[in-house]
Amino acid sequence: MTEELAARPDAPPLAASKPAARAVNATKVFGRDDAAVRALDDLTVDFAAGHFTAIMGPSGSGKSTLLHCLAGLDALTSGHVFIGDTELGALKDTELTLLRRRRVGFIFQSFNLVPTLNALDNITLPLAIAGEPANAELLKEVVGSIGLTDRLGHRPSELSGGQQQRVAAARALVSRPDIIFADEPTGNLDSRSGAELLGFLRTAVENFMQTIVMVTHDPLAAAYADRVVFIADGKTVNEMTSPTAEGILDIMKHLGA
Amino acid sequence: MLKVTLRGLLAHKLRLSLTAVAIVLGIAFVSSTFVVGDTINNVFGAIFTDANQGIAVVVEGQPLAGASQDIGGGQRLPVPAALVPTVRQVSGAKEADGIIFRTGATLLSPSGKPIGGSGPPTFGANWVDSPTSPYHLRSGHSPQAADDIVVDAATAAANGIHVGQTTQMVFNGGPRQTFHVSGIAGYGSADNVAGATITLFTTPTAMRVLDTQGNFDQIAVLSASGVGDATLRDRVAAVLPANMVAQTGGAQANQQKQATQSIISILSTALLVFGLIALFVGSFLIVNTFTILIAQRSRELALLRALGATRRQVMVSVLIEALLTGLVASAIGAGLGILLAIGLARLLGFSLTNGGLTVSPRSFIVSIAVGTIVTVLAAILPARRATRVAPMAALRDAVPEAQPLTRRRIIGGAITAAIGVILLGVGLFTSTDQTLPLLGLGTLALFIGIAYLAPLLVRPVAGALGRPLARLRGVPGRLARENAMRSPRRTASTAAALMIGVALIAAVAVIAASFKASGESAIVGSVNAQLLVTDTSSQAGFSNNDAATLRADPRLADVTEVRANSIVAASANQSLLGIDPAEINHTVTFDMVNGDAGSIADAQNVLIDDTTANARGWTAGTVLTVQFPYAPTTTTKRVGGVYRGNALISGFVVSLATYAASFPTQRDIAILANPAPGQSLTAANKAMTSDLNAYPTLTIQTKQQFVDANSASIDQAQSLIDVLLVLSIVIAALGVVNTLALSVLERARELGLLRALGLTRRQTRSMVRWEAVIIALLGALLGLVIGAGMGAAVVRALADQGLSKLSVPASQLLAYVVAAFVIGVLAAVLPARRAARLNILDAIASE
Repeated sequence: MTEELAARPDAPPLAASKPAARAVNATKVFGRDDAAVRALDDLTVDFAAGHFTAIMGPSGSGKSTLLHCLAGLDALTSGHVFIGDTELGALKDTELTLLRRRRVGFIFQSFNLVPTLNALDNITLPLAIAGEPANAELLKEVVGSIGLTDRLGHRPSELSGGQQQRVAAARALVSRPDIIFADEPTGNLDSRSGAELLGFLRTAVENFMQTIVMVTHDPLAAAYADRVVFIADGKTVNEMTSPTAEGILDIMKHLGA
Repeated sequence: MLKVTLRGLLAHKLRLSLTAVAIVLGIAFVSSTFVVGDTINNVFGAIFTDANQGIAVVVEGQPLAGASQDIGGGQRLPVPAALVPTVRQVSGAKEADGIIFRTGATLLSPSGKPIGGSGPPTFGANWVDSPTSPYHLRSGHSPQAADDIVVDAATAAANGIHVGQTTQMVFNGGPRQTFHVSGIAGYGSADNVAGATITLFTTPTAMRVLDTQGNFDQIAVLSASGVGDATLRDRVAAVLPANMVAQTGGAQANQQKQATQSIISILSTALLVFGLIALFVGSFLIVNTFTILIAQRSRELALLRALGATRRQVMVSVLIEALLTGLVASAIGAGLGILLAIGLARLLGFSLTNGGLTVSPRSFIVSIAVGTIVTVLAAILPARRATRVAPMAALRDAVPEAQPLTRRRIIGGAITAAIGVILLGVGLFTSTDQTLPLLGLGTLALFIGIAYLAPLLVRPVAGALGRPLARLRGVPGRLARENAMRSPRRTASTAAALMIGVALIAAVAVIAASFKASGESAIVGSVNAQLLVTDTSSQAGFSNNDAATLRADPRLADVTEVRANSIVAASANQSLLGIDPAEINHTVTFDMVNGDAGSIADAQNVLIDDTTANARGWTAGTVLTVQFPYAPTTTTKRVGGVYRGNALISGFVVSLATYAASFPTQRDIAILANPAPGQSLTAANKAMTSDLNAYPTLTIQTKQQFVDANSASIDQAQSLIDVLLVLSIVIAALGVVNTLALSVLERARELGLLRALGLTRRQTRSMVRWEAVIIALLGALLGLVIGAGMGAAVVRALADQGLSKLSVPASQLLAYVVAAFVIGVLAAVLPARRAARLNILDAIASE
């Protein structure tokens, strides 16, 4: 793996790069009093720009909550989250929306696409919402790399699950966001489709220096990342750079997952 | 299973609430119609029974030939005064009184304005000091001097009239006369007869001011003790001449009651029709709601089926939900109808002081039954669809799929629409006595057929409407267009509900505009006079002295009266105009088909309009047998010419001399005049105004003002109908709200995704709003096309009745499109807010 990183002389070293997103003393409490659940408990973590980070943890560890708060879809109870230098807690709904539109890309586990729009329109949707033209060259390149050039006119219902997720990935990439958040993107896919999607994300990191943060419970998926952050009980408990599936499994076992 | 249904009903009560509101509104209208009808009937019944209390026998003249049945006298031969002592001498008669009761007496308010105006009628009558009199003094004394009057208590209270006061009156458009209020009286136990103004005079004064020429309208007879009403009636009848009839007081009360009931039932039937239209529109809302709910619940229904529920159980479960919704909503609606009835009674100018509303159990039972049945019937189709949900659907990710448009549906819709068109055609263009049912059924079938076919139009029309939107509004516009097109049946049935109201309003607009255009063309074409005098207070015509006053003025020329009445010819009532043949072409013109308009100078000749002439095969020279109302026998007349009839002039025309010889009273419906040579129209108008200063009920109009007044009265009728149709529009708008609200719920995940991808709240609202606008515009456009077509068909069918010009009021129809746009925007407010407030995480997370 070190060889692989060395093969990318343009990639900033993990520790030195400026974080694309970070959480500082992030705490998120659901419910009140006796029923209160601390999904995030004074959690602090950085996500380096130009890198692919996976977040792992047992069910209920708070990994999805962290992703939602980082992406501005949910608000912290206390603490701070930043996208670049922007603190999300200070933003109103419209500012948050504009931030998501301009600087964040999303890949969800399922229901990623607007059913009334065809694949191409889904890919360019965030740009269209912002009223910005798509970069034709980039669009062509991205569409080519997901291998869907001949299915662009189809509506989501006419695409397979794997194809739908690749369209979602292309959509996330085409607007060149500062950071892409992926929430269990392979959760509903068979292993081959999953591998294709992850390979595609990996390539995006390599070719476009795209920052990606992905929540997953699959060690094989996490192995595509540059770094894995392990979360349990709302806290970061471990991390691993240049991960392997076996190494991840080992740590996960200790976390009791 | 019932438990599951009830749980489902409670869980969806919010979603069903708009449907319920639609039923509530429709049923409130229906039940208020019943309550108002019953109330008016009861009050009138009580009044007439009261008024005839103690009267054994009533003597009246035979009904006049050519006269329509009406309340208020003047429609029968008058009773000669000499007959009263004859009747009084009949054995068993204790008392007999001559009674006068006629229209044409108008009280002026202290400010000089006619009381009553165009509202309830005003009557004059004679005061009789006798047990037969229904009038009971409340204060003051009976009229004794020639200038004494007694006023009914309701009118006195409403206008601040009190005993001892001096007041002015006008009779049949004549000059002001001064009277002295000697008393205030009630009618039976009531303050007056349902809002009509009644003024009572001494008998000689009543004969003079009401121009009865020494006659009475009735003789009321009281029986001596021990003599039965029927016995006395037969004895009285024996002494009467052939043109007089006697009936018992009870029969008289019933006859009066029936006469008013027939008028009221026309009114309440008309109102009921609007209520039923509203319910029909509401039924679209019900079908739509249940269809959407069932689509959304297909997983739950499939689970029930997988767990062993039969199709029948699923169907029954949906129908019970509809039944309960219909029952509750109808009950609320029926209750609300009572409140509405109070308002409606007020609107009709009907006082509820006597005994309040009549709320019969029937009003409730029928209203609730109608509302419940409509709801259940409307739910049957969606319920059948529910039974087709396969148990397997429970296992699939059931995002509701758009229902495909089947061939069967298209053919069914086309056939239904065609049947509608045929029924309308038969109703409009053939002579049948089933015109109204045919038109009603035809319209219903046409609407249902179009509603079935409408999904075919959704893609092209919504696509075309949405194209500029997508360009102007970017992604929200684009998505709005796609959303409107994604489920054509849902969009279509929502739009169809709006279509119905818009179609009816558009049809009314076309018909009204055609009436105005035809009226204007008739006035411009037939009237050469530049000035017209008409009486605003009475349709019975006004005194002939008025024309004499004007004729004496040198600043005016061509002053001539127009008189109107009706006669019987070829066993049908025909209208009859009397004009001065010397003034033809100066004041009125006839567009002759054959013969000569001037021929009526010969009293033997009459003119007839071409429609009647063609129908009967008459032409110049034809000799006819006609019956004049007051003449004892028929006479023969010769057709002197046939003219083209129009909205203003149709029927028979005779000379004023012939008219004067045929009718006992000479009253004008209009006086026509021109400025004398050298006088300007303004000067002549001014001269006329000062000449007629003493005649407060007469209105002077230039030809253009007459045209405008004609248009204004049509506008008034149109806006009344429009107000009644607004209810259907409101319900259709609720339907748009309902569909959008349910769609927003259904598309929660998609909305969440869009919000996550950067769609702002404002853009989200915009998306929902434009979808609503597309739906509303689709409904409006369908409605306008169908409505304009229906309106044009009605106008063509009535071409013979003087509706010669077809006019399509483009600016008005355009205004309806704008209104539909606004309705769309308003209907979207709540669903849009809901969509914008959606919690993104909940939406994405909902699995």
